Amino acid sequence: MAKQYGRSAKSSAYQWFIHRITGTFLVFLLITHFWVQHYDRTTASISHSVITASEAKEGVLPQYSERANEAVEARRGSWLESQEAGAAPGVQIVPTDESDALAGHEGGATPYDILMLRLADPVYAVLWKAFNILFLVFALHHGFYGLNNIITDYVRNDMARVGAVALSWTVAFGLLVIGVYSVTVAGLNL
Amino acid sequence: MAVDTLARSQAAAKPKPFTRYKVRTGMFAWMLHRLTGLALVGYLVVHVWGLRAITNAEAYNTLIAKYHAPIFKVGEFLLLGAVIYHALNGLRIVLIDFMGWSPNQTKLFWTLGAVAAVLFTVGGYPSIAALVAHFGA
Repeated sequence: MAKQYGRSAKSSAYQWFIHRITGTFLVFLLITHFWVQHYDRTTASISHSVITASEAKEGVLPQYSERANEAVEARRGSWLESQEAGAAPGVQIVPTDESDALAGHEGGATPYDILMLRLADPVYAVLWKAFNILFLVFALHHGFYGLNNIITDYVRNDMARVGAVALSWTVAFGLLVIGVYSVTVAGLNL
Repeated sequence: MAVDTLARSQAAAKPKPFTRYKVRTGMFAWMLHRLTGLALVGYLVVHVWGLRAITNAEAYNTLIAKYHAPIFKVGEFLLLGAVIYHALNGLRIVLIDFMGWSPNQTKLFWTLGAVAAVLFTVGGYPSIAALVAHFGA
């Protein structure tokens, strides 16, 4: 089928075909991304706290479940033990001055602690980073190709259309660089 | 008469600033697909831009605290709606394009609409419940 559509590059039939493929894959990638990263089953690390602007200014942070707090504390304890034993840890919850101060909020884990807890999983740290980069590539291609369809349909001025298309792909490329870098270095304490 | 014809053809050739659509089920689905797509691109930009905070504990905590603001809870609810609609209508388009389901496209729209409504209600409940609990307490 790809060959059939690939013949007509001028009519963007190949891009049209790819758009459907990336869209279909995105549905499955999105479900997996959501399930793994926003509904962590092992530590119930999703917070439904509501924080108003004034509370945020006072440094109020989301509250996590007791199970999530315990998991963070256990991880921090094992890190300290490994430090005392002289081991060189991989991705860990690092009790820097900054996170120590924040970890004290109402005695609970901070969002960053929860994030590091997820990244402490060696499978997660490698496999899911690759997964997220793939997800990012698909999402950016699908999203910005769709945006370009709209630009092409509604921007009548040739100069403005070419400019808008060039700008949108530049933004997409910038986001790809930011996203790949952020996902790659997350948890590496660079 | 000739002048009138010329004026008419010139008027017809001149592009209109906005295109008028006949809004039937398929067109409505298409328009909403584009609108939700635009919203999702906007969200993607914000989401990826926010990822920069991942390398700094304080910045990340501040960002996540902001994401728990009431307006973001409402946004979460709307985002879920946009994602569900765009994904299911996208699948409908794929079925029409690749499987030849075009004659059933209206039926397909309403069937997937019912599925979307269930997913939206179940998935959106935590966001709305959190808001109600916060302001009702």
